Amino acid sequence: MGYKITIENLDFGYDEQDVLRDISLKFPEGGFISIIGPNGSGKSTLLKSISAVLKPRRGNIFINDAALSSMKKKDIAQLMSVVPQNTALEFDYKVMDVVLMGRYPYLGKFKGETEKDYAIALQNMEYTNTLHLKDRSFNELSGGERQRAILAQALTQQPKILLLDEPISHLDLQHQIEILTLIKKLSMDQNLTVIAVLHDLNMASNYSDYIVMMKDGQIKGEGTPIETLTVENIKDIFNIDVQIEVSPLTNKPYIYSIAAPEIKKNNIKVHVICGGGSGSEIIANLHNSGFMVSSGVLSIGDWDWKVSKDLDINIAEDVPFSKISDAAYETNKKLCVEADYIILTDFYIGKANLRNLQVLLEKELADKAVIILGDESFEQRDITEGMASEIFRKIKERQTSLLVSNEEIYNLLNKAGARYD
Amino acid sequence: MTNKIKYNTMLVLLLVCLAAAIVAAVSIGAVNIPAGEFVDVLFRGKETEHSTILMQIRLPRVLLSLAVGAGLAAVGAVMQGIFKNPLVDSYTLGMSSGASLGAVISIVTGVSFSIAGISTTGVFAFIGAVATLMLVYSLAHKKHKISVNSLLLAGVAVSYFLSSVIAFLMLLSRDNIQHVVFWTMGSLSLTSWNKVAVSYIAIIPGILALMLYARELNILTMGDESAQYLGVDVEKLKKILLLISCVIVGSVVSVSGTIGFLGLVAPHIIRLLVGSDNKAVIPFSAILGAILLIVSDTLGRTLIQPVEIPVGVMTSIMGGPFFIFLLRKQK
Repeated sequence: MGYKITIENLDFGYDEQDVLRDISLKFPEGGFISIIGPNGSGKSTLLKSISAVLKPRRGNIFINDAALSSMKKKDIAQLMSVVPQNTALEFDYKVMDVVLMGRYPYLGKFKGETEKDYAIALQNMEYTNTLHLKDRSFNELSGGERQRAILAQALTQQPKILLLDEPISHLDLQHQIEILTLIKKLSMDQNLTVIAVLHDLNMASNYSDYIVMMKDGQIKGEGTPIETLTVENIKDIFNIDVQIEVSPLTNKPYIYSIAAPEIKKNNIKVHVICGGGSGSEIIANLHNSGFMVSSGVLSIGDWDWKVSKDLDINIAEDVPFSKISDAAYETNKKLCVEADYIILTDFYIGKANLRNLQVLLEKELADKAVIILGDESFEQRDITEGMASEIFRKIKERQTSLLVSNEEIYNLLNKAGARYD
Repeated sequence: MTNKIKYNTMLVLLLVCLAAAIVAAVSIGAVNIPAGEFVDVLFRGKETEHSTILMQIRLPRVLLSLAVGAGLAAVGAVMQGIFKNPLVDSYTLGMSSGASLGAVISIVTGVSFSIAGISTTGVFAFIGAVATLMLVYSLAHKKHKISVNSLLLAGVAVSYFLSSVIAFLMLLSRDNIQHVVFWTMGSLSLTSWNKVAVSYIAIIPGILALMLYARELNILTMGDESAQYLGVDVEKLKKILLLISCVIVGSVVSVSGTIGFLGLVAPHIIRLLVGSDNKAVIPFSAILGAILLIVSDTLGRTLIQPVEIPVGVMTSIMGGPFFIFLLRKQK
């Protein structure tokens, strides 16, 4: 089955400089494992130690309880193969010849390749979609084709462990995804243990079953993507501020950089009465254009609530599935009173959130500018047997109310913003 | 399979050229001897008025050219494979000059005798080649990396230095200038059957030994690291190949002095013709090297008779521009 890789107290350094310090690690058997970390954190050095190209100062690496240092080069090559960043040949060879080099660990000194060796090479070329490149010269291939050919060579070694050192860093997006998808498929089809050094955190998150985080030559964390890729860990290791969204489809974290340029504030206060996702886009857009946005009353866990929370704006919030409480109502009212404009979005109104409409009837708000979206669909959205429609009619008949479409609203507010400047 | 046909055709072609070159070289000279007479003397044991010239002067000279040319070209091919650069050979790395110096030291100090066919001159030349290679290598070695540019630069610099030391030693020992020319320019004019025997004992098995490592050399093209990933013990491989190369260069130099650029040109032409597979490149380069040296030497001794142009001058005249062409193509 899977192959166990265990690292015990590994130290590595060039001359005076320490690169890896006291690394102990047990890789899970099988699956796709990523090593991530900033430049100079020792990721590639760790990979080269595992592939026995670099000899550690201290410590041991075991593969299924056999010490790597006591194994023969050819035996190691039968057990694991490596795909480096990019490969260029000084003397050109045909793709077929390059792939066939993968059989070297199995060949005797005076024996040539047999039919079986050719068959294995051809099969792996088919698998990596390089069979049609068989007779082309290697150096003429594009970056993506080259990486696939090298992958075919690595697979021709019939390894149990596949090591990849930033295999996609010289490729464009399409080829990055192509290569990683192929490797992921391999790890599942052939029960290969894949260990990859990756730069792109989202790629690592997307493809990995397990992530090892490194900094300054040490392991800073390991686990599933969702365990390791947290805002705190990324701040600690990469020193960047990010926002993380977990995909509900794959349960994999997606990392956004939030190093955006400072937003210029315009001090116009806008309160958005919304719910069910009807206000999220407006809230985010207004916020990013410099308006001081608030929202309410929103059920905790509602999409509009989540966006408001992420943007860290004032919210009137309440527990879901119950009538709006007095406290939440008062907060909402207060935010309405403070606002220069109120936006009423096209959300569904039932008995639970009817008070979001009623609040506009408060006498303090009689002269407030209320911008109303989705007038034409209101009756369909009224699930209170007409109670809401009655209130809505009163509000929209006011002098200070304005019925607009989605497109108009930004024009309107931008004009307001411009006048303010 | 098409490769096999290509290789076989190439092999036949090269062997035919080699045979033609040998026959032509034996026939042409101060006295022109018809090829038919040569065949008669060699294969039918006939005694003619030219028997002595053929058997004692021309044939050993041609056979020595063959071994020397083949050895230099095979070593060139292998060195280019090891350092992954088409500009490297035993001459540009200073190995040939080192071997020359070794041989000169053995001659000047008078410790030149031979035991069981192995002459001390050859041994000294071998030591000179190894020592120079180590020196050049360590000069070019910087922070765990070898840059081929610094390797070539160090090779050329060391080569110049050693050539002056050789000239100095020769003058000190009051030897004539002819000898200085021999050791620094290379010449095949002082040939004897004895030399032929000595060179064949070391050079031909050396070339065969190099050929055994063709597959590993092919893999080395992927880069030292990738070659290790594929299971090649790169450090050991390099040591073995360089050691064999030093044996070949040592014996080549001890019989012919330093002959330049041959090891550079022959493998390059072969690669253009059959591709980079060292299984073909090493033996084919050896044969082409033999042909080129036989032709160069024949031209050298016949072009401006009665003056003989040292063969090293001939190869350098042809090889120098070729080297510059390669250098420019690389950028």
